[in-house]
Amino acid sequence: MNRSWDSLETFENFLDSGGIVEPVDEMPTEYRQAVFDFIEMHANSELMGGLTERDWIPRAPGLRHKMSVIAKTQDEIGHAHLLYMVAADLQIKTRQEMMRDLFAGKSKFHNVFHYRAKTWGDQVAIAFLVDAAALVSQQAVFKNCSYGPYKRILKRIIAEEGFHLRFGEESVLRIAEGTQIQRSMFQSSINDWWWPALQLFGPDSKPNDLLLRWHIKSERNEVLRDRWIQKFVPLLQGYGFTIPDPDLRWNKEENRWEIGPIDWEPLKRTLAMGGPDSARRISEASESWEKSSWVREALEKVAT
Amino acid sequence: MRVYEVFLKPDGKEEFRHAGSIEAATDELALVLARENYARRAEGTHMWLVNRENICVSEEGFIDSNLDKPHRHNDGERVARWRKLQRNKKNNE
Ligand SMILES: [Fe+2]
Ligand SMILES: [Fe+2]
Repeated sequence: MNRSWDSLETFENFLDSGGIVEPVDEMPTEYRQAVFDFIEMHANSELMGGLTERDWIPRAPGLRHKMSVIAKTQDEIGHAHLLYMVAADLQIKTRQEMMRDLFAGKSKFHNVFHYRAKTWGDQVAIAFLVDAAALVSQQAVFKNCSYGPYKRILKRIIAEEGFHLRFGEESVLRIAEGTQIQRSMFQSSINDWWWPALQLFGPDSKPNDLLLRWHIKSERNEVLRDRWIQKFVPLLQGYGFTIPDPDLRWNKEENRWEIGPIDWEPLKRTLAMGGPDSARRISEASESWEKSSWVREALEKVAT
Repeated sequence: MRVYEVFLKPDGKEEFRHAGSIEAATDELALVLARENYARRAEGTHMWLVNRENICVSEEGFIDSNLDKPHRHNDGERVARWRKLQRNKKNNE
């Protein structure tokens, strides 16, 4: 342990040959920062996702769904917890500093959590489309991630996201078997969430993407996005819903779905904290953090 | 606050495995938090928590020295060669 590399080149050779970096290693500063930024954004997204999920505990239709939503909320907050631990060990920011930056709108979280979930249909669309999109990208990171603690913790997170996905699809099935009103509610949720979920993967990866070069990510954004599209177009259509893309077509020769052009403006706005619900989301998250400050203060007292 | 390393072990032959870490104010609270974060779906039957401060860590290279002690790994090659020779002799008789 406590390995060090005399140049970025030898470090990159180490990564290319499948080397796994541990927190005690003297990794290059740029790598440390890149891994940290990536994990911090993931942690923030889990927390913001967990908080939206929580909003639906009192409003879930029926006890069965309510219990599933409680479990999912606990999972997401748990994921945030684990990821903040892994991020803090990189010794760039403490957990407190990460919270401070999140509530100040200074650090990023996934675009999808800059929108408001207005109906139960939206919540189901999130559980189905968004959790799946997150899962697709996490699986690709897990497969080949060069940072050991992140790779190991992703294993647990991925297993639990699998439950969310199944819960999402079961809820879709229930709605699909429901009344016309329920089906049209869900269709309008798909119309609202299809594009944000698809944009979660980000624009096509640049040729010199450092996250790819350093094996933090293992697959290009466009590859992951396409994998998700190929899976979800037939799934949604199979349940009797339509995809809000007038240019969507089946390419017979290549045996695959092709989508229309993607408008990246909404994604850019969310990254600049200017999404439709960004301000409310952040202030609500910070408010709930403030409200629970007495717990942390009490714990600090016991600790000393 | 203290940082604890969490180890879980399922019943049976499996060994304890590192699951991750947790921050808590006291041992008792750490156990509760570790359960809520790492064992929500019965991921094990036994759990160990170790305060990170109490872990002894070996320095770089401390165990590497054993790499150059091949005599600790008798590969049985010499005996195998002799046995093969004997077998061949017997077959040729
Ligand atoms: Fe999650
Ligand atoms: Fe999830």
